[in-house]
Amino acid sequence: MRIHITKLKKYYGERQVLDIDDLIFEEHKITAITGPNGCGKTTLLNIIAGLDKDYKGEIRYNGFYLNKDITDKMTLVFQKPYLFKRSVYENIEYPLKIRGLSKDIRNKKILDIVKKLEIEDLLEKRAHLLSGGESQKVALARALVFEPDLLLLDEPTSNIDPDAVAILEREIIRFNEESKGTVIIVTHNLEQSKRLGHRIVEM
Amino acid sequence: MNYILEGFKEAIRLLISLDKEVLSIVSLSIIVSTSATIFASIISIPLAVYFGIKKFKAKRLFSRITYTFMSIPSVIVGLVVAIILSRKGPFGHLNLLYTKNAMIIAQTLLVIPLVFGLTYGLTKSRGDVIERIAFTLGANKWDTIVLIIRELKVDILVNIATAFSRAISEVGAVMIVGGNIKGYTRVMTTTISMMNSMGDYPMAIALGIILLLISFIIHSLIYSYNRED
Amino acid sequence: MKKISILLLIFLLIFTTACTKNVETPTNTGQVEETQDETSQEQVEAKGSIILSTTTSTQDSGLLDFLLPIFTEETGIEVKTIAVGTGKALQMGRDGEADVLLVHSKADEIKFVEEGYGTERRDVMYNDYILVGPKDDPLNLKTDYPNNILEGLKRIAEKEAVFVSRGDDSGTHKKELSIWKTANIEPSGAWYLEAGAGMGDVLKITSEKQGYTISDRGTYLSMRDVLDLEIIIEGDENLFNQYGVIPVNPEKNPHVNIDAAIEFMNWITSDRVQDLIKEFGVEEYGQPLFIPNAK
Repeated sequence: MRIHITKLKKYYGERQVLDIDDLIFEEHKITAITGPNGCGKTTLLNIIAGLDKDYKGEIRYNGFYLNKDITDKMTLVFQKPYLFKRSVYENIEYPLKIRGLSKDIRNKKILDIVKKLEIEDLLEKRAHLLSGGESQKVALARALVFEPDLLLLDEPTSNIDPDAVAILEREIIRFNEESKGTVIIVTHNLEQSKRLGHRIVEM
Repeated sequence: MNYILEGFKEAIRLLISLDKEVLSIVSLSIIVSTSATIFASIISIPLAVYFGIKKFKAKRLFSRITYTFMSIPSVIVGLVVAIILSRKGPFGHLNLLYTKNAMIIAQTLLVIPLVFGLTYGLTKSRGDVIERIAFTLGANKWDTIVLIIRELKVDILVNIATAFSRAISEVGAVMIVGGNIKGYTRVMTTTISMMNSMGDYPMAIALGIILLLISFIIHSLIYSYNRED
Repeated sequence: MKKISILLLIFLLIFTTACTKNVETPTNTGQVEETQDETSQEQVEAKGSIILSTTTSTQDSGLLDFLLPIFTEETGIEVKTIAVGTGKALQMGRDGEADVLLVHSKADEIKFVEEGYGTERRDVMYNDYILVGPKDDPLNLKTDYPNNILEGLKRIAEKEAVFVSRGDDSGTHKKELSIWKTANIEPSGAWYLEAGAGMGDVLKITSEKQGYTISDRGTYLSMRDVLDLEIIIEGDENLFNQYGVIPVNPEKNPHVNIDAAIEFMNWITSDRVQDLIKEFGVEEYGQPLFIPNAK
C-alpha cells in the first residue's frame, strides 16, 4: 500500500510536533523511521493508522482517503502491546473472528502464524501473564494473522531479549518478501533500521 | 432495652424455622431487584461503553449530568413512575400500578443511571487503550463495544452488583409504586418500614439480618472472583 | 472557581448552623428539665416543646396543621408531631418517646392509663368511617345497604370483590377488623389485600384496583379529587370512631414534659378549641370532618 503525505501539520496546543511537506512510503517496501525522542515519530504512525484524526494536511492510501476498506487492511503494533485477558489462541483469533471467518479457516491460519513466530507452546496460556518478548510475538502474530497490506510498527523490539528480536525481525522481513506487505517501522535503533529498511527516513 | 433482645431472639427463630411469610417476602425482593438489575444492565452497559469511548464536544457536561443522575433519590423515581402508571396517567390502561411489574419498572429506572454512570466512568478511564487496539485490528463500533465489555467484565460485574445492592436496599420507589400489599408487593424494605411503624420489631430485625447477609454474600463472591482474575 | 468555593462555604456554614440548632433543642430541654424542680423561672422555659404522638388520620386530614400553629402562638409551646399507627403511638408513650398522645382506640387507651403509662384520658372528638368503592358500584351496595356496613361487608366477602385493608395495626385497621368481627366474617383470600400502608396510600390502591375499603371521612374527602371512588356506605353506628387525649405519665418516664402535655390536653378540650374543631373542613367539604365531644 502506497502512502502519500502532503502538507501535514500537527499541533499539541501551541506546540508544533509535525511539519511534513511531502513524504511517500513506497508499496511493498520496508521503511524505517528514526530520529530523536519527541520528534513526532509515534504521532506520525498514529496519524497514518487513523487513530489520530486531529491534524491538518492530506494522506492518501493508494490514492484514496482513509476508509473502512483501508483500515481493514492495515494494522499497528504498539511499543507496549495490549493483549486481551484471554488465552493466546483467542487473542490471535480475534481479528479473524470479527471478519467472520469460519472456525476451520481460523484454526488453520492461527496454527500457521504461531509456527512461524515459534509460540506454539503458548497457545493455551493467559495472554496478559506473558513476558515482554512473548507478548510482542503474540501481538505480531495477532497483527499478521489477517494478512494486512500495511504493517505499522512502533518500536516493537525495545526492552526485548535478543532471541525474540531476531524472530520478530525475521517475520517482518518474511511478511515483506513473501506476502509483498508494506512495512513502516519506527525505531530509535540505527542498526535495526539498517537491517530492516529498504529506505530510512530521518526525522 | 428488653424488647430489642426479645426482637433478636424472635428474629433468629423466624430465620431458623424458615418462616413462610419471611421466605415469600425475601424471594419477591430478590426477584424484583434481580430483574430490574438485569434490564438496567442490558440497556445501559452498551450505551455507557459507547459514550465512554466516544469523543464529543460536551463530554464534560455530559459526565457531570450523568454523575448527578446516579444519586437520584428513589422517591422521585417512584413518584414519576406512579404518576405515569396511575389510572389517570398516560399508561393507566395497563393496570400496572401496585403490581410486581411496576416495582421492576421503577427499580430499573432507578439503577439505569447508576449502572450507566459507573460503567461510563470505567470506560472513560480504561476503554481508550482497548478501543485503539480494536481499531487497528479492524473492529467496527459494535465489535469494539463488545470487546471492551469483555475485557472490563470484572469491573462491570462489580458495577452490576453495586446496582443490585442499591435496588434491593431502596424503599422509596417500591413503597410508592408497589403499595406494600401483603403477598403481592411486599418486599424486605417495605416490610421493615411498616413493621417499625407498627412497633413490631422481630420480623423487621429478621429481614434486616437477611438484607445484610445478601449484601455480604454478593460482595464476597465478587471479591473472590476479582482475586482469581 | 473562587466565587463558587465562597458560595459553597457560605452554604456549608448556613447548613451547619441550621444543623447545630436542631441538635441543640433537645439538649437544652434536657438541661432545663433536670433543674425543673429547683426554680419556677425555668419551668416556663421547660414548656419549650412537646412531642405529640398521633395517628396518620389526624395528620392526613390536615386538622393538626390547622390547630397546632394556633396552640403554639397562644402558649409558646412548640409541638413536634409524629404521625404513626395507634399501636406504635401507644408504644411510644410506654417508652417515654412522646409527651402526649392523640389516638383513637378507646379500649387500648383505657388499658394504657390503667397500667399507669398515662395520667388520664379525655374524649376529644369523634369522626366517622365510610365504606368507599368504585363509582359504578358493581355490587349495588349503595342502593341495597346505604347505612348498613355489616350487610355490605357480607356481600363483599360473598362476591369476593377486592377489598383493601390497611393491614398496619393502626386504629383504622383495628376498627376495620372489629367491624368484620361484628359481621362474623373472617376476611381472607386473594380478594382481601393487606396493604400495610397509611390511609392515603390505601385509598390510592383501592382506586387503582377499583375495589372497596373502609376509610375515615376526612382523608377520603381531602383526596377525593384524585380518586376514582365514592362513598358507598355511611352513617352506621359501627363506623363511629372516638379520639382521646392522654398525657404520658412522668412517673414512668421522668423526662416527660408533663406540664406542657397537660396544657395541651386542657387546650384541645376547651370550649373555644372544640368550636374550632367543629368548623374545620366545613368550608372546603361542606361538612365537619370531626365532631367535638369533650365533656
